[in-house]
Amino acid sequence: MNTALFAQLVTLSSSVVLLFGITLLWRRSLTAYIDAFRWQSLVLSVLFVLIGYYSNDPELYLVAVFFFALKVIVLPIYLRRLQARVKVVNEIEPYINIATSLILAGLLVLLAYAVTRPLVAVSTLPTRGGLPLAMGLIFVGLLVVVTRKKALTQIVGFLVMENGIALLAALGTYGVPFIIELGVFLDVLMGFLVMQVFVYHIYGTFESIDVNQLSELKH
Amino acid sequence: MALLSALLVMTLVGGYGLGALGALLLGGRPAGRFITALGGGVGALAALVLGVSALAAAETMPFDWNAAYADNFLSLTFTVDRLGGVFLVVIGLVGLAVTIYGYSYTAAYTGRYSLRLLGVLINVLPLSLALQVMADNAFTFLLMWEIMSLSAYWLVLTESDQPGTVRSGVWYIAMTHLGFAALTAMFLLLAGNDLNASFAAIRAHAAVETALMRNGIFWLALVGFGSKAGIIPLHVWLPMAHPVAPSHVSALMSGVVIKMGIYGLVRVLFDLMGGGPTWWGGVVLGVGAVSALMGVLYALMEHDLKRLLAYHSVENIGIILIGIGAGLIFQSYGMFTLAALGIVGGLYHTINHASFKGLLFLAAGSVLHAAHTRNMEEMGGLIKRMPWTAAFFLIGAAAISALPPLNGFVSEWLVFQALLGGFSLPVPEAAAAMPLAVGALALTSGLAAACFVKAFGIAFLAIPRSHEAEHAHEATLSMRVGMGVLAVACIGLGLAPFVVVPWLARSVAGMAGLPTTSPTFTAGALIQTPLNFGSMSTTWLAVLLLALLGLAPLLMRWLRVEWRLRVGDTWGCGRIGQTPRMEYTATAFAEPLRRVFAELYRPTKELTIDFHPESKYFVQSIEYKSEITPVFERGLYEPLLGMVRALAFQVRRLQAGSLHLYLVYVVIVLLVLLIATRWF
Amino acid sequence: MGYVLEIAQVALALALAPGLVGLIRWLKARLQNRRGAPPWQPYFELTKLFQKEVVMSNNASWLFRFAPYLIFASTVAVVFLMPLLASPLPFDAIGDLLVVVYLLLLGTFFLALAGLDPGTAFGGMGASREMTVAAIAEPTIALAIFGLALGAGSTNLGRIVTETLADPGVVISPGHLLAFAALFIVTLAETGRLPVDNPATHLELTMIHEAMILEYSGRYLALIEWAAWLKLTIFFTLLANLFLPWGVATTLAPGDLLIAIGALVLKLAALGVVVAIVETRVAKLRLFRVPELLSVSFVLALLAVTSSFLLK
Repeated sequence: MNTALFAQLVTLSSSVVLLFGITLLWRRSLTAYIDAFRWQSLVLSVLFVLIGYYSNDPELYLVAVFFFALKVIVLPIYLRRLQARVKVVNEIEPYINIATSLILAGLLVLLAYAVTRPLVAVSTLPTRGGLPLAMGLIFVGLLVVVTRKKALTQIVGFLVMENGIALLAALGTYGVPFIIELGVFLDVLMGFLVMQVFVYHIYGTFESIDVNQLSELKH
Repeated sequence: MALLSALLVMTLVGGYGLGALGALLLGGRPAGRFITALGGGVGALAALVLGVSALAAAETMPFDWNAAYADNFLSLTFTVDRLGGVFLVVIGLVGLAVTIYGYSYTAAYTGRYSLRLLGVLINVLPLSLALQVMADNAFTFLLMWEIMSLSAYWLVLTESDQPGTVRSGVWYIAMTHLGFAALTAMFLLLAGNDLNASFAAIRAHAAVETALMRNGIFWLALVGFGSKAGIIPLHVWLPMAHPVAPSHVSALMSGVVIKMGIYGLVRVLFDLMGGGPTWWGGVVLGVGAVSALMGVLYALMEHDLKRLLAYHSVENIGIILIGIGAGLIFQSYGMFTLAALGIVGGLYHTINHASFKGLLFLAAGSVLHAAHTRNMEEMGGLIKRMPWTAAFFLIGAAAISALPPLNGFVSEWLVFQALLGGFSLPVPEAAAAMPLAVGALALTSGLAAACFVKAFGIAFLAIPRSHEAEHAHEATLSMRVGMGVLAVACIGLGLAPFVVVPWLARSVAGMAGLPTTSPTFTAGALIQTPLNFGSMSTTWLAVLLLALLGLAPLLMRWLRVEWRLRVGDTWGCGRIGQTPRMEYTATAFAEPLRRVFAELYRPTKELTIDFHPESKYFVQSIEYKSEITPVFERGLYEPLLGMVRALAFQVRRLQAGSLHLYLVYVVIVLLVLLIATRWF
Repeated sequence: MGYVLEIAQVALALALAPGLVGLIRWLKARLQNRRGAPPWQPYFELTKLFQKEVVMSNNASWLFRFAPYLIFASTVAVVFLMPLLASPLPFDAIGDLLVVVYLLLLGTFFLALAGLDPGTAFGGMGASREMTVAAIAEPTIALAIFGLALGAGSTNLGRIVTETLADPGVVISPGHLLAFAALFIVTLAETGRLPVDNPATHLELTMIHEAMILEYSGRYLALIEWAAWLKLTIFFTLLANLFLPWGVATTLAPGDLLIAIGALVLKLAALGVVVAIVETRVAKLRLFRVPELLSVSFVLALLAVTSSFLLK
C-alpha cells in the first residue's frame, strides 16, 4: 500500500470516527447513542487493522480483535441491559439545545486543529492528518459528558472520549505496546462497571438517572 | 485641475451657505424651502463632482488649501485626496437625493415645526461632513466632527413634541460625546499633543510610537469611530435616534453620518498608522461579524419600519468592518493584494449601503408621510396605492439583500472573496477565523433577505391593514425624484463594478504598503479577484437575466400558451370574504426565526385569555404580548445606568438646600485650593 | 461552438428536469408498494398547466404576475453558469459558485414575496418558513463552497471541475466527502424535499413550498413548478459534477459530449434513487427541528473546510 493512499484512508476513517461522535449530539434516543458508539468502535477497529497492515505490526491485529470484542460486542450489550434495567425514557434532555451544542462541537474541532497544529507541522507520520480529529473527538466526548443530563448518556460520552484517546494513541505511535493497551482496556472495563454500579444506586435512590437529582443530596 | 477643484470646493461651500442663509432668512415659506433645497442641491452636486474628479484624477492631491492659504487664523487646513474622494461621493450622492426629496417632504412640517432651524441644519450637516473628509489636521477634523454631531443632534430633535424623541436625542448626544472624548484623546496621542500637526506630520510621528501607545490609539479609535458607526455594543443610540428624526434626515444619518466612523477608521488605521499587528484586524473582523449578525437578528424582530432599517445599518456597518478587518489581517502579513481586496470590498459596501439605505429610509419616509404610521402591522397593500414608492423600496430591498445584479451583491461578493483568500494565511489561528467569518457573513445575508421579504411583503403587499393604509397616496414628484436618484445609483453601482473597483483600489493604493498600482481586478466587464480566485460580471448577468425575462414570454406566446387571465377572490378554504385580519402579520412572519434564535432573544411572553363566564370553551378575547429586550440593553447599559443613578443619589446628599451649607462648601474648596497651591 | 453548447445544455436541463422529478416520484411509489404515475407524468402536467387559464387573486399586484418570469429566468440563468456537459464553457467566467447561490436566492426572494401578495395566511406561512430555511441554509452553502474552492483554488465552477479531474485523489479526501454530505443535506432543504418539506402534500400545516404557490395557476404555476424542478436538477448537477466530475467533457468533440450526456443522465438518476430511498426511509421533521438538521450540515461543512485547509 503506498503512503499517500494510506494517509488518505487514515484521515478519512478518522473523520468517520469523529462524525459518529458528533452524531451523539444530534440524536435524541439512547438507543441511537449506543448504536453510534458501536459503529464508531467498529470503524476504529478497522483502522487498527489498517495501521497494523501498513506498519507490519501483527500486535495491532490482536489489539483490534480485543477492541472489537470489548467495544463492539460487550459494552453495547451491557449498555442495552442497563438501559432496560433502569427503564430509561428514550428522550434525552440536553442542557443546551441541539443546534447550539452542534455548533459548539464544530468550534471545538476547530480548536483541536489549532491546538494540534504545531504537532502536525513537525510530524512526519503519514497518520498525522488524523491527529486533530482524534483530539476533536476527545473534546466532543467531553462535551457530551458535560451537557447531557442522564447518567447513561454520560457513560456513552465517556466511552466516546476513551475512543478518542485510543485513536490518538494509535495515530500518534502506531499503537502502544500490546500490554499497555490491554491495561487500558481493563481500566475501561473497570471504569464502566463502577459507573454501572453507580447508575443502579442513583436509580435506586431517585427512581431516575437524571443527574440533576444529585444536587438534592446537599440539603 | 487644481483650479477646477478650488472652484468646486467654493461651489460646495457657497451652495450649502446659500441654502443655510436662505432658510435662515425666508424660514418656512415655500420660497425658503426652495432656496434650502437649491443651495443643498448645488452643494451636494459639487461634492459629488469633486469626489469623482478626485478619484479619476491622475495626481494624488487635486486640491490643497494648505499650499494656497497657509497660516489662516484658525489653522484650518484642507486637502482632497482619493480616500476623501470616496466619501465625498457618498456625501454628494445621498445629499443630492435627500435635498430633492426634502423639498416637498418638509412641506408637511410648515407651521408645526421650525423649518428655519431644519433648513439651516440640513445644509450645515453635509457641509461639515464634506469639510471633515477634506480636513488635513486633527483640529480641523475634530471641529468638523463636533459640528456634525451637534447639527445631527438638533436634526434628530426636530419633532421634539413626539413621545420618545427627546429621550433618543439624549442617548445620541451621550454616546456621540463618549466617542468625541475618545477621539480627542486619540488624536492627542497620535499627534504628540499638537492638534495642529498636519496629517503628513502625524503619519511620520505614528510610525515611531511605541507599541503600547499604538495599541492605545487603536482602542481609542475603535471606541471613538465605532460609537459613531454604530458597532455593537456602542450601537444603542442608532435604533433610537434614526427612527425619530425626519425621514430625509434619517437617510442622511444612516447613509452618510455613520460612514464617518468608517472613514475615520480607514484614515487612522491604514493611512496615518500604516496598519498594525494582526490582532487589530482580528478585533475589527470580530466586531464586524458580531455587529452584522446581531444587527440583522434584532432587525428581524422589529415591526417599526424605520427601527428595522436602523438595525440594518448596524448590520451593514458590520459587513463593512468584516472587509476592513480582513484587509488589516492580510496587511499585517504583507499580503497586500488580498488586503486591498478586503478594503475595497469594505469601501464599496460603504458606498452601496449609503445608496440603498438612503433609498430605503426615503421610501419609508414616503410611507410614513402617506400612512402616518411606522408600524408595519398597520400597513399593507401600498404597492397599489403608491406604486413608485413600492418599486423604489423593492429595489432597495433587493440591493440590501445582496441579490444580483444589484450593488449590494457586488460588494458582498468582494468581501467573500477576500475571506476565501484567507486560506493562504500562514498562521492557523488567523486562518481559522476566516471560515467562521464566511459563515457569519452568509448567515447575515440570508437573514437580511428574510427580513426584507418581511418588510416589503407586509408593508406593501396584500390587503391594507388599517384605514390609513387604505387611503394612502403616492409621494410627490420631488420625493419620487429624490428616491429615483438613489435607485439609479443602486442599479448603476451594481452594473458597473468594473469602473468602481479600480477607482476604489486606487483610493487606498500606496497606504500602509498597499501596492501603488492597482491590482488586476478587472478585464473588461469582468471582475476578477487577484490570484484569479474567482470572477464574475454583474453586467453580463443583468444582460442574461433581461434576455431571459424577455424571451420567456415571447416563446410562450409563440408556442400558443393559454393567455387568458381571470381575476377572482382569494381562496379562503371555502370561507367567503377575505379581511386583513386573515393575513399573515409581521410578528407571525418572524416567529420561526424567533424560535430558532430564542436563546439569544429570550422573549418574554404574556398571554391573557378572557373566557366566557358560562364556559371556558368559549373565549371572548385573547391578548398576547411578547417583548424582546436586546441583550446589550439588558446586560450592559441597564446595570451601567443603575450604577450612575446610585452614584447620583449619593452626590445629592451634598445638596441640602441650606444656604449656609453651600457657603461652607465654598469656604472649604477655597481653603483646599489655597493649601494645594502651597504644596505644589 | 461554445455558445451553441451553452444553449444546448440549457435546453437539455430544461428537458431533463421534469423527468428527474417524475423518476423520483415513481421510485418512491414503487418503494411504498404503490404503482405510481409513470416517470414522464410531469411533462403532461406542464403541458396541461400551459393550456389552462390563469385565475388570479383580486388582492394580488403586478408583482404576483412578474414573479414567475423572474423566478424562471433566474433559475435558467444559473444553468448557463454550470458545467453541465463540458468545462470550461464561455459563460463560466461571468458567474462563480457565489453567484449561483445568490441567483437562486433571488428566485426564492421573489417567490416568497409572491406568496405574501394575495394576502392569504397560507402564502404568508409558506413565505415565512421558506425564508427561514433559506436563511439558515445559507452559511452551510457558503462554507461548502469554501471547502470546494480551497481544493481547486477557485470559486468558478469550471475551474473546480477541471482541477478535480486533474487530481482525482482529492475525491476521497475527508474535506471533499464532508462538503458533499453537507451540500446533500442543504439540497434536500433548498429544494423542498423530505425531511424538511413534503413535496407530495397540499394543504397541510407542515408544508412550505406548496403553501407559497397555492394561489398560482395556469402558465404562472407551470413556470414556477418548472423552475422548482430545474432547481432540483441544478443542485443534483452541482453534487454530481463538482464532487464526481467524471464524464464531463473537457473538449468539444462530439464523442466526448455524447459520453457527457450519458454520464449526466446516469448521475442524476443515481442521485434520484438516493433521494427516493431517503424520502421513503425518513419522516418529515418538525419545523423547529429543521434548524438542528441544518446545523448538522453546517458542522459538516465547517469540518470540511478545516480539514481541507488547516492541513494544507
